[in-house]
Amino acid sequence: MGTTLLMLGVVEILLAQNTLEELQEKATQGAVQRISPAMVQIETTGGTEVISAGGGAGPMGKRRPGPAAGPGVRKGTGPTTGVIVSADGFVISSAFNFANKPTSIIVSTTDNKRYLAKVIATDQSRMVTLLKIDATNLPVAESVPSAKMEVGQTVIALGRTLGGSPGAPPSVSMGIVSALGRIWGRAIQTDAKVSPVNYGGPLIDLQGNVLGILVPASPQAEGETAGFEWYDSGIGFAIPLDHINQVLPRLKQGKDLRKGLLGVTMQSRDMYADEVIINSVAPNSAAFKAGIKVADKIIAIDGKKVESHAQLMHQLGPKYEGDIVSLTIVRGKDEIKLDKIELSGSLESPPLGFFGILPMRDDPSKGVQVRYVFPDSGAAKAGIKVGDRILKAGVGPDITKVTATAEVANRDALSNLLSAAVIGSFLAVEVKREDGTTTTLKGPIGQATSFLPEKPPEKSSLAKLDKEPEKKAEIGTIKKQNAAGDRNYWVSVPVSYDPRTSYGLMVWLHPAGKGRDKDLEDLMGTWDQYCAEYKIIIVAPRCDADLGWTPGESDLILEAIRHATDNYTIDRKRVVVHGMGTGGQMAFYLAFQQRELIRGVAAVGASLGATPKERIANQPLSFFLAVGDKDPIRETVLDTAKKLTGFQYPMVLREMKDMGHQYFNSITLDALATWLDLLDRI
Amino acid sequence: MISLIKATLIASMAVSFQSNEMSLNDVVQKVNPRMVKIYGSGGFKGLPAYGTGVLVSPNGYVLTVANHLMETTDLRVHLYDGTRLPAKLVAMEPELDIALLKIGTEKSKIDDLPFYDIGAAAKAPLANPGTSILAFSNQFQIASRDEPVSVMKGTIAAYARLFGRIGIFEAPYSGNVYVVDAITNNPGAAGGIITNRMGDILGIIGKELRNEQTNTWINYAVPVNAELEVKLADGSARKLSILNLIEKKEAYKPVTKASKSTGGGGYLGIVYVPNVVDRTPPYIEYVEPGSPAQKAGLLPDDLIVYVDGLPVVSVNSLMELMQKYRPQERVQLEIRRGDKLQTISVLVETPPKIQPSKGSETKGN
Repeated sequence: MGTTLLMLGVVEILLAQNTLEELQEKATQGAVQRISPAMVQIETTGGTEVISAGGGAGPMGKRRPGPAAGPGVRKGTGPTTGVIVSADGFVISSAFNFANKPTSIIVSTTDNKRYLAKVIATDQSRMVTLLKIDATNLPVAESVPSAKMEVGQTVIALGRTLGGSPGAPPSVSMGIVSALGRIWGRAIQTDAKVSPVNYGGPLIDLQGNVLGILVPASPQAEGETAGFEWYDSGIGFAIPLDHINQVLPRLKQGKDLRKGLLGVTMQSRDMYADEVIINSVAPNSAAFKAGIKVADKIIAIDGKKVESHAQLMHQLGPKYEGDIVSLTIVRGKDEIKLDKIELSGSLESPPLGFFGILPMRDDPSKGVQVRYVFPDSGAAKAGIKVGDRILKAGVGPDITKVTATAEVANRDALSNLLSAAVIGSFLAVEVKREDGTTTTLKGPIGQATSFLPEKPPEKSSLAKLDKEPEKKAEIGTIKKQNAAGDRNYWVSVPVSYDPRTSYGLMVWLHPAGKGRDKDLEDLMGTWDQYCAEYKIIIVAPRCDADLGWTPGESDLILEAIRHATDNYTIDRKRVVVHGMGTGGQMAFYLAFQQRELIRGVAAVGASLGATPKERIANQPLSFFLAVGDKDPIRETVLDTAKKLTGFQYPMVLREMKDMGHQYFNSITLDALATWLDLLDRI
Repeated sequence: MISLIKATLIASMAVSFQSNEMSLNDVVQKVNPRMVKIYGSGGFKGLPAYGTGVLVSPNGYVLTVANHLMETTDLRVHLYDGTRLPAKLVAMEPELDIALLKIGTEKSKIDDLPFYDIGAAAKAPLANPGTSILAFSNQFQIASRDEPVSVMKGTIAAYARLFGRIGIFEAPYSGNVYVVDAITNNPGAAGGIITNRMGDILGIIGKELRNEQTNTWINYAVPVNAELEVKLADGSARKLSILNLIEKKEAYKPVTKASKSTGGGGYLGIVYVPNVVDRTPPYIEYVEPGSPAQKAGLLPDDLIVYVDGLPVVSVNSLMELMQKYRPQERVQLEIRRGDKLQTISVLVETPPKIQPSKGSETKGN
């Protein structure tokens, strides 16, 4: 008896000497078994194929442009994962899994029971979504307290995508905790492989307790897909479950949680610059209400010293809309403490100033000749007439005091003056009229219009075309190959092309499966008349895959655009991306990525999945959305229109009567051609 | 006395421990001589001209994946000791994505190479998720001649069906694979192996594939005991296995599979909502009077979410799933009606003879 016990003891000692691997295998399998019943499998029906580009502001509002806020991501067709957080049927998952807006969500528990699930709310700061199923007595995941997590501890990332049935063992990826408090204080970082295979699944310790919920995340961007490009790369993230449990009561009430914003931008572009000096305060933001002013210096938040913008972000990152902070600022020589600042959930940004004229293009003389006056605009109120030449201009807050002092060299000079002006202020212009008299006119500066007026005068250019052009560019419909020689694109140049007049550039991104030569020739045929009349050049790159455009193909599109801008006279104010279906989604993506290049998006039957990005003052973007009134995605297109309007982008929406998911009817084509012709409005 | 027993026990068990548990380095020394580097066709369109293989007999049969490398008469293999030998393709089974090569010639006979006994390995139980593994391959052609191949350490992530895609094409093999928690499937790694921590072979590393379920790259290996049953063109079934291919060698005949839509798609009598986007949800727009769907009680606005347990993402995927059914077969449709899920069993029938429809947008089955 005694000997047996002793021998068991010896065996234990020897087991302890056994390889680490064997022990880890056993511990892993035990931990996985323990958490498995609290992991559900999630399947969805419908929704979009591609989660399109979006992303939003940086954590402080519109300050940091940052890298891609998430490329358009093609959503896989497989099931995803969720974790049960309360026995009465609440399941938490990654917002990524529902970013394609599925029609129907079904949750399966390990006992193979299926439930219809409802989205209750999304934490938009941490990108986790709460679902509810009609079930009781469910096994609930136990969370590891944040204070007990340690960098270096062994963790396992689990998912229910692979393996088929909801009762099958979850997929396993081993790793350690790489860091804590990442993504501005919101996420655990791990080197376990995190990807759509386990987004929404748990990151557990070797006891089977949950540290966090796996999500894609990036410190530079926001949104459901931000950080997706890092999948399986050794850098993955999880939102601490003990934090989620804290905000669970609020999520259960069905209200989305938004990140808390102060509403300021900083003077230095360097996040680590050693002074935090305010550059702008968003109207009606938390900072605005607290009385923070431009040039104030922030030195502390909630009593903690901050010496850089990055330190401030670490403090603000975990906070939600409605949370209260206190700031210590220095204004001049005074140190001021501002208490009870309630953080905002969204910010207003001042829209682009607009006077209401179209300039004549290719104007060799000084000043700006008026081609067209928008009805009811500031220019119309001022009494500006077609043919007037604006020679001087000035902006001021008071119509009685504003004077036209600065010389206006050309169209761009006037445009820059307006883009910096505050809406509601006034513009004074000195014009030379067609009869040779000179007069000063004043009118209010309004907001860029979404209104599409009747066709402006056809004569749009003042270029001197007395002699034949020197260099003959390629005209007609041309098939080009990219530099690498493996892809091609079409270019369509009107036969009447003259390099001394400027042309609008339209990039056509075809819908999935419509990239054959014939399809592209058809499209160019449809546009032929318009291109000649409105002076438009079309480039039409061809998408590689049958399934449609992916962000990786941006290079080809940019190369095609470059070909056009290098070889033809292209008006930089009228470069637009036009696309349908996935091509339309790609158009949104590209436009938000290439702000310095693209001035407009014309999308047919396509929607913007996530939140649009903020406007940028001197890089205006206009939108033209068209959708058939019978198109099943009509609702999402209308939703996109609403979002864009919410961000105060000039936006034209055309619903096409009795049409499904189709290309334009002729009325809409007319409207689009006019819209393109108005993009250089001032 | 007791202390003596203890000492003896520790001594004896320590010995057995040492013999059972080799160090990682010992394992690598054991595996490496069985691995070969393969050079063949490729070097264009992003396809590497190199790959990996594993010896499965002492006289030079090499197991690897069925890929573009074999499309040449100048196939070469480098052994562990740097010996360079010509090789020829002996047999290939696209359904398993496996090929067998033979190295050496009539003149230069080989009969003493270290090898894996696949017959024995195929009898071992499956490795569970969480099992530690090692992966051996000549990824990125980092080794040549007598340089040993790369070793990686990882874990079995899952044992799951492969939903792979190469570009727009479905991957040939669709059986179960070991999904690996390590970035194993790199250029040139295909044909390498994964082993358990003792160096026993578990599977053959596959190609670089995207997982259709997640649209991400997947790391996987085809298990050495992989078995598939395929339907042949003549209607009969045949079992395929890696072991069978290795045993038959030159005599192995790859299968000619029946074309996919064997069922031809039975008739339900459902018209779905217009299928105009990539993932049109399969809502029923109309149920034809007297049809199987009507008899079973399906109604307009029902959303079909599962077909015999398989999830339905869109009208397209539903059409694809329904293709395999024949008249007089029963199909369980799980539908969403309002806020409830319910299962409805439908008896598939032969479609009624009707006038060909006038090219309407709305498809049905």
